Amino acid sequence: MRKIGQEEETRVLLGNVAIARGIIEAGCHVVTSYPGTPSSEIIPAVAAFKKELGLNTYIEWSANEKVAYDNALAASLAGKRSAVAMKQVGLNVASDSLMSSAYTGVIGGMVIISCDDPGPHSSQTEQDSRFFALFAKVPVYDPSTPREAKEMVKEAFELSETFQIPVLLRPTIRVSHAKQSIKFFSPEILDRRANFKRNPQRWAATPRYRLVLHKQLNETLQKIQKRFEQNTRWNFELGRGRDVSLGIITCSVSFAILMDILQELNLKGIINVLKIGTPHPLPQKRVAKFIKKHKKVLVIEETDAVIESQIIDKSRVLGRLTGHVPQQGELIPEVIHDILAKVLSDMKITDLEKSSDEKLDRLIEKLKISVRRPTLCAGCPERAAFFAIKKALPKAIYTSDIGCYTLGLNLKAVDTVIDMGAGITLASGFYQAYHQDKKDIPIVATMGDSTFYHAGTSSLLSAVYNNARFILVILDNEITAMTGMQPTPGLGITADGSQGRKIKLETLIRGCGVQWIKAVNPYEVKKLINLLKKAREYTQRSDGGIAVIIARYPCLIRYPEVLRENSVKVEITDDCNNCRYCIDFFECPALYSDSEKNRVDIDRTLCVDCGVCMNTCARSAIVPLSKNA
Amino acid sequence: MKVQIILAGLGGQGILFASKLFSELGLKLNLNVMGSETHGMSQRGGSVIAHLKLGNFESPMIRTGTADFLYSLEKDETYRTLKFLKSGGRCFANLSNPDSFDKKVMDYLKKQRIIVKTCDASGIASQIGSIVAANIVLIGYSVGTGLVPFKYKDLREVLESVSRKKNCIQNLRAFDAGMKEGKLVQEAA
Repeated sequence: MRKIGQEEETRVLLGNVAIARGIIEAGCHVVTSYPGTPSSEIIPAVAAFKKELGLNTYIEWSANEKVAYDNALAASLAGKRSAVAMKQVGLNVASDSLMSSAYTGVIGGMVIISCDDPGPHSSQTEQDSRFFALFAKVPVYDPSTPREAKEMVKEAFELSETFQIPVLLRPTIRVSHAKQSIKFFSPEILDRRANFKRNPQRWAATPRYRLVLHKQLNETLQKIQKRFEQNTRWNFELGRGRDVSLGIITCSVSFAILMDILQELNLKGIINVLKIGTPHPLPQKRVAKFIKKHKKVLVIEETDAVIESQIIDKSRVLGRLTGHVPQQGELIPEVIHDILAKVLSDMKITDLEKSSDEKLDRLIEKLKISVRRPTLCAGCPERAAFFAIKKALPKAIYTSDIGCYTLGLNLKAVDTVIDMGAGITLASGFYQAYHQDKKDIPIVATMGDSTFYHAGTSSLLSAVYNNARFILVILDNEITAMTGMQPTPGLGITADGSQGRKIKLETLIRGCGVQWIKAVNPYEVKKLINLLKKAREYTQRSDGGIAVIIARYPCLIRYPEVLRENSVKVEITDDCNNCRYCIDFFECPALYSDSEKNRVDIDRTLCVDCGVCMNTCARSAIVPLSKNA
Repeated sequence: MKVQIILAGLGGQGILFASKLFSELGLKLNLNVMGSETHGMSQRGGSVIAHLKLGNFESPMIRTGTADFLYSLEKDETYRTLKFLKSGGRCFANLSNPDSFDKKVMDYLKKQRIIVKTCDASGIASQIGSIVAANIVLIGYSVGTGLVPFKYKDLREVLESVSRKKNCIQNLRAFDAGMKEGKLVQEAA
C-alpha cells in the first residue's frame, strides 16, 4: 500500500494543475466549477488525476458558479471535503452563497478557488477577490507560485475543517497560468460517508439565530488571526535587518517578482521584506512590528489595496493609497522595478537604471505596428450569424454577452457586453425604456449556448412575463469554446467524460414561455437573413412576442471534422475591385487585401473552406474554385 | 545554468508547445523550471507570448532587458518582444526574407551586442510537409547556430518524449531540418 504523503515524482505543472493536484492530495471528495479564464484548467486536471490514480472523486461542470458553490457546500455539510473553482467575476455570481455560508459555516473542509485576472487579460473587471474574503468574513490564502498554491490548498482544507468555515484561495493569473517544477505526494485517502446531521438552528437559521452565528463567526476569525500571527510558512521576513530606511510588505506573485528583481540588483537580503500569504485575517501584530522597525514601508500587492487598507497606522506606509503603486493594471516586473526605483531615488537611497530602453521603444514605435486584436476564427459560425444580423437589421440595438462572440464587436454587431446573461436582460430593458415612449425599435440579443444555460433562463422568462419584444439569437456551437472547450448541458457529457442527461435548448426556451422558436444553420446566410426579418415582424405583431433563433453549427476548433464533408473551396475572380467590404464587414482572418495586386486574396493556410464569404461580395467575385484551375 | 527565454508568435503557431519543450528540457537537466503563458481570449488570433526561466528564479515572468534568448515566429511579434532581450542577448526569428527587418532597429541592436539570426522556418516546415512545425524548425535552427547552450541530443530526446505519436516523426524531421540550416550559418561564420 502507498504511504500517505510519500514523495513520488517531479513534474512541470501549470498553476491550475498544481492546485488540482493539491485538491487531490488533500483527499477532497467533491469538486465543482463553471469554466472561466484563468480558472478553467482546474477541473480537467482533477479529472485527469482522478483517472490516473483510479479515485472516486466526484467532479462536475455546474450550470453556473452559484450552482457549483451550493453543490460543493452540500458535500461539506454531509461531512466530505469539497472544492469549488471559478474566475473572479464568477465569485460575484456565487457571492450570495458565500456570504450566507460564512455564517452557517461548514463541516467537511471546503475551499473556494477564485482566480483573479489583473490586467485584465480575459475579464470584464480587475476586481480583487481578497476583498470578498473581508466582505464575507472568511480567511484567504494568497499564493505567490504554483508550488505554494498546491501546498496552501492542502492547509486550507485543514483550516476549514478545524474552524468549520469556508476558506478562499486567491491565485492571480500569473500563478494559475505560471508553470513550475513541482514535487508530487501521494494523496490522502479520507474515508468519509455522506452523513448530514440535522441542525435547523444552524443550517436553516432565522434572522434571530443569524445574529448568534455572526457573533460566532467574529470569534472564529479572531482565533484564525492568532493562528496566522504564528504562521511562519506563508508569513515570513527576509533580510538581515540592518538597513531600516525602507521595508517592503508584499504578497502573491508580486513577492516572487520582487525577489527576482532584488536578486538582479544585488539588493536581496539588504532591503527587508515581509511576505504575507494570509491577507485576511491579517496578522496585524506581525505587520505593525515590521512597520515599527522601518522609517518607510512600501506595500506591493495585486490587484487592490487589501493589505494596505487594513494597516491601522498608515503614517509610514507607501502604496496604492499614496499613489506610489499604480491604481490599475497588472504589476508586471517592469512596473514593480520602476515603483522600487522611484521610492529608492525619492528616499535618496540609490538610483536604478530605468526598466525600459526608451531609444528602442521609439524606434519600434516609428514602425507603427498595428495592435493585433483578437478575432473570431476562420470559418467560425458565429461570424456568419453576425454578418446576417447586421445585414437583416442594420439599425438594431445589439445587446450581447460573454464568450467568443463578444468579438462580434469587430463586425459592428455588438453594442453592449456587461456580464453573463445581460444580452437578454439589457434587450428587455431597452425594449421597456423605448416602449414607455411609444417607440418601436429593433433589438437583437446574442448569447452563446453555454451562457444561456448559465444565466439565460431567468432573464428570458422574466422578459416573456413582462411582455418585452426583441429577437434573441442563440449562437449554439455545442461547446463552451472561449474557455477551452468544456461540455455544456446541451451536449450532455459531464466533467469526467461520462454521459449525463442532455437538455435541449428548444425545450428550455419553450419552457420560458417563448412561442416563436426557429433553428437554422448560420452558414446558410440568406436563409438566416430571411428568418431574422420574419422574427422582426413577429415582435411587431399584436399577438407576437419574443422571437428566438437558434443559429446552430459546431465550433470548428472543437469539431474540425464537420467541414470535411460539404466544404467549399473558393477563389476570388478578377471582378474584385478591392472595395474591402468583405474584409471590413466580414473580417475573416483568411481574407486579406493585396495592395500590390489591388485586390483581395485568400490566405490558404488559414482558410477552412467554409465558403460563407461568397455571401459577402456585392460583385459576386468570390466563387467556388473552378475544377479546371 | 540560469537561462531566460521569451517565445513569441500568434495563436495557433505552437508557442505553448515550444514552451513545453523547454520546460521538459529543464526538468531533464535537473533545473528549476518557471514560466508564464497566455490563455483565453488572446488565443483567438491574438499575440501569444510565453516566458520561460530555467535555474534558480522565484517568479514566472521575465523583466524587459533581461532575457537571454528570444524565439519569434512572426515579424511584428518580434518587434514587439525585442525589448525583453538583454544586452548580448540572442534573437531567433522566423522570417522568409532576412533583409526585411528595419535597418535602424537592426543597427541599434548591434550596438547593444544583440545578435539577430533569421531563418525561413515556415518555408522549411512546409517543405517537409508540416507548416505548423515552424516552431520546432526554429528551435532546431538555434541549436545548429551554436549560439545557445542547449545540446542537440537533449532537446531531440525531449522533443521525442513530448510529441504526440502521430506527429513525432514529422517533429523530429522538422527539428533536424532546422538544425541543418543553423549549421550552415555556423559554418559560414
